[in-house]
Amino acid sequence: MKKTLAMVLVGGRGTRLERITLHTAKPAVSFGGKYKLIDFVLSNLTNSGIGKVGIITQYEPYELMNYIEHGSTWDLDVNDGGISFLTPYTTIDGDQWQKGTAHAIMQHFRYIEHHKPEDVLILGGDHIYKMNYNDMIKHHQKNNADLTIATFTPNEDLSRFGIINADENDFVTSFEEKPKDPKSTTASMGIYVFKTDVLKTLVTMNIDQNFDFGKDIIPLALKKGMRVVRYHFDGYFRDVGTVESLYEEHMNLLDNPQYLKLHDYQNLPIFTKSSNLPPHHIAKRTLVRNSMISDGCIIHGEVKHSILSSKVVVKNKAKIEDCVVFSNVKIGENAIIKKAIIMDDSVILANTELIFEKVTVIDNDYLWKLGEQDGQNIRRR
Amino acid sequence: MITYGSWVSKMGRIFAVVDATFKENLDQLTLHRMPGALPFAGKFRLIDFTLSNIRNSDITNVAIFPYGNYRSLQDHIGSGKRWDLDRRTDGLFILPPKNLYIIPGESITFQRMYEHIEYFKRSTQEYVVVTAANIVWNIQFEQVLDYHLKKAADITEILYENIRLKTYILSKQLLLEYIETYDTLEYRTIADVVKNAPNLKRAIYRHSGYTRTITDAFNFLKSNLDMLSFSNGRQVFREDRPVYSKEKTAPPAKYLSNAYLENALVSAGSIIDGTLINTIIGRDVIIKKGAIIRNSFIMSNSVIEEDAFIDYAILDKQTVVKKKTVITGTLTSPYVSQKEQIVTNFERMRVLIVASESYPFIKTGGLADVTGALARNLVRKGVDTTVILPLYKKIKDDFDESLKRERARTIMFDDKTYKIKLFSYVYKKVNFYFIESFDFFDQVEIYGFDNDPDRFGFFNKAVVDILDYFDDFDIIHLHDWHTAMIPILLDNSPYKGMKTLLTIHNIDYQGKTSSSLINKLGIENFIFRSEEINMLEIGINTATKLSTVSPTYREELKFEYFGKNLTYSLLTRDRDFYGILNGISSKLSPEIDKSIHTNYDRDTLDLKLENKRFLQREMDLEVNDEAFVMGMVTRIVEHKGFDLVIHMLERVLKDHPDIQFVLLGSGDERYIGELRKIEKRYPAQIRLNIGYDSTTPNYIYAGADVFLMPSRFEPCGLGQMIALAYGTLPIVRKTGGLNDTVENYDPLTRKGNGFVFENYDVNEFTNAVFEAYLAYKKHPDHFLVLKRRAMKEDFSLKKSTQRYIELYRAIIEL
Repeated sequence: MKKTLAMVLVGGRGTRLERITLHTAKPAVSFGGKYKLIDFVLSNLTNSGIGKVGIITQYEPYELMNYIEHGSTWDLDVNDGGISFLTPYTTIDGDQWQKGTAHAIMQHFRYIEHHKPEDVLILGGDHIYKMNYNDMIKHHQKNNADLTIATFTPNEDLSRFGIINADENDFVTSFEEKPKDPKSTTASMGIYVFKTDVLKTLVTMNIDQNFDFGKDIIPLALKKGMRVVRYHFDGYFRDVGTVESLYEEHMNLLDNPQYLKLHDYQNLPIFTKSSNLPPHHIAKRTLVRNSMISDGCIIHGEVKHSILSSKVVVKNKAKIEDCVVFSNVKIGENAIIKKAIIMDDSVILANTELIFEKVTVIDNDYLWKLGEQDGQNIRRR
Repeated sequence: MITYGSWVSKMGRIFAVVDATFKENLDQLTLHRMPGALPFAGKFRLIDFTLSNIRNSDITNVAIFPYGNYRSLQDHIGSGKRWDLDRRTDGLFILPPKNLYIIPGESITFQRMYEHIEYFKRSTQEYVVVTAANIVWNIQFEQVLDYHLKKAADITEILYENIRLKTYILSKQLLLEYIETYDTLEYRTIADVVKNAPNLKRAIYRHSGYTRTITDAFNFLKSNLDMLSFSNGRQVFREDRPVYSKEKTAPPAKYLSNAYLENALVSAGSIIDGTLINTIIGRDVIIKKGAIIRNSFIMSNSVIEEDAFIDYAILDKQTVVKKKTVITGTLTSPYVSQKEQIVTNFERMRVLIVASESYPFIKTGGLADVTGALARNLVRKGVDTTVILPLYKKIKDDFDESLKRERARTIMFDDKTYKIKLFSYVYKKVNFYFIESFDFFDQVEIYGFDNDPDRFGFFNKAVVDILDYFDDFDIIHLHDWHTAMIPILLDNSPYKGMKTLLTIHNIDYQGKTSSSLINKLGIENFIFRSEEINMLEIGINTATKLSTVSPTYREELKFEYFGKNLTYSLLTRDRDFYGILNGISSKLSPEIDKSIHTNYDRDTLDLKLENKRFLQREMDLEVNDEAFVMGMVTRIVEHKGFDLVIHMLERVLKDHPDIQFVLLGSGDERYIGELRKIEKRYPAQIRLNIGYDSTTPNYIYAGADVFLMPSRFEPCGLGQMIALAYGTLPIVRKTGGLNDTVENYDPLTRKGNGFVFENYDVNEFTNAVFEAYLAYKKHPDHFLVLKRRAMKEDFSLKKSTQRYIELYRAIIEL
């Protein structure tokens, strides 16, 4: 879709991810051993042939910018368009700190106008899904919509989402943001296609009040009687907003072979920047079951039902079970860890025993404090 | 302020020339790719090591000189971005050959570099490192340059332990001098210069980290498996000097609930539910439940199905191993699959060999030995083997009573009906069948008639017509032009689609005849291009796969000098063309050979001296332990190099009375006459035993010090293999099977098992003889090392039979 420009909002911190997003934006959070959440949206874009992408950053952008670079991993380093990082800036009128999703788009409207797209595709950078956006854009154009909202059917608490009601022709009749008593089961994915001029009209109207797409812009469009259309997406779609849901999605990768189909390279492959590492090495006689292991790992101990990112070292007789281990973690001899998310670069000393009932995030700060107080869960032998 | 000097140093002092011009003996692994493009340690390619070393040495100007099919290499390297080589200034250059008629040698020649002399002239760096694309190592070339400068050397060669790595550092200016004068220079390669040039200041830099050059399937598998040991892996995959490879996306490897592992390297994207022991797994491999894989390298996208068992194998990309299939190789001779092969278990493979001659029934030359020995060894390996031959008069006379009469038939040929009778004889569990035809095969001589093409055309037709008499064969193995019409006849029969392998033993004999033969055979829809047809050419165009008798000869046949009028046909079938070296019988061993004077083995080589004395006595030469005895057992014909032999003898015998020469053979009177003249002049040094008697040449193999084979061409050659087995060092020309079996002596590393010269040239041959003579006189310790190594070589029939079985399987599993 040559005439479509994508704007990806990657500014959110994702506070409910606790220590996981302490120093990084949510789209830069690791997923499935090798991926970062941002890989999904960028791969979807390149798989949909959309080559003009503005990435709007705010919270802790460094890691993300460093990761995306010129976008060559996703073949987005092209002459015409490609990836542009759009950062908050100051003007003669003072700071332009983003006050919401729509406000962020408004700030960078000069970028949009520069590319003169017919339609603008607005995306979040932190969802897990494989989708061809062209189907949605075609749906948008076929219905001559002013605005199209992608929807899905969540299998969890509906009150966390924006709930969409639509008629049989997919025209949206009402929209409720995080309702207590939802009237339908289809929720907004936070993915929108706007006609460019419609988008401009909406985001520049009452710029002191309309900051957010969900809260402000969609109700405004409905109120103004615009053609608001729904596009229903049947595939897998997950917003990993909490530590628990992030953990659960990882376990899903292990337990459900059909989930995400990461091995399917023909149909919407997910690209990720490849680390330059040798294959992982399972050393002498050990048990590795129901797990995923990334390049550069060296495994002497036991790994059960866990996902290991790159360069993880598991020493002799160490045991990890039901864990998600981020990259460059060292797990010492005889250590036993169960049901934890272990953050990058953590060093777990020999003989540490950490067995949790409820999934717990472990990082070096946590381990340091544990060492100081020798807390309930830790036992040295 | 930026000074010119600092700018220069930023550009680096070195540019790199990557020599990927040679092919090495990697058989089907390099059939469709160059050695540099071979996968290694799961996700890497061999050339990644060289390119990463270059990058880690801050070298930004690189030229790769590829050989032949470099598509997969180009595909892998791309713009060189992965190694920081996509640059404005300098960068990566792939410089293909301009002259396609140069046969690839062991290393890049100055002539090859001259084709791209502009590159060398334009490069601004002062020094050049010339290195190869098939080395697994991690080295910093800047350090080598510092050493080179410290030693004030002209050329510095890099060695690992005792292994030459085809890697040199020298100044661009010196290299340019060699390149520009390549046509008058007596050295072809840098290796020649280093070895032979006088007044050259050479230095040797000894590299200490893990290093291997990948030259055959054995050391390819071995060095892959070496990466399973941390102490080795750490020396190659260093944190400070990483190895870069092409980016590819694959999810992490996944282990299911039946996985069991013991020392394995597993690449991304694989799904493991079986057992892996000492094994390397490439990207996106699927190992199903119950499969057991040991000591193997499974390349990317392969699938190993349930309960398969694999030991010591190299499975090329996209190989599928079916349920319960058992594959076993050994470390020295691993099983090698072909790309996209589907491997299944055979209940019992049924092979039909069709040939014009086969030992022990009828023999005029080497072909009979090969077909007879192959059949016997196939049976030993559990293959159900049948051989069909014409019933020549000689066979009838020799075996008449014992031949079992099977059935009579009529065959349509030239619109007439001919009667044939089928006879059989089981010899060493091989089922031999003979086709009797009084009209075509009732002569004493088996070849040499004007109607030979008709005779063998009829034979081919008869073979296809009687196939219904047998249970179906899995494959028909054909030999030379005498059987080359069988594939096209099969296409015109109910057996269309039956798999065939046509082996070319000698391209000189092709079976040219009138195109009327096509009509006589009843072949329809044949497109005639001229009045004449060429039976071998038709076979080449129609057989399922082709092979010849050595990997080097296979390469040579792509050039008109060797391939003659069939070069084009062979080139178009390049992807279906294999080179499999013949082997010699395990009975040819000085340990057990009853026909030699004293038995000996590698550890009792001093007893070989007894055989030398016996040879000198038998031949009526002076019995002298110090004498240097050269032996030859051969047909005396032009292509065996007799022009060279005669002139060489003139030069060496005169001033070296301790050089002796014995020859057993028969053939061309012209050469025999010349040789007789020399014999008259040096009666004490030369003895000719004219009248070829193949039953008793072994006393020469056992008694001589060196064995001469200066052939102009040699598809395979057996003499040099026998000589090696008897610890007699061969002096050979670098051609065909001689190139695949004899490795030149290197005084520096004491490597080699004989003496090799390059061009069909009296000077080069004489120099090789003198080199051997000097080694014999001055370095008896080296000479002994070479002899021991020669006797250790394994050119057994067992090995070549195994290769044929693997090829049959690959063809059947197409």
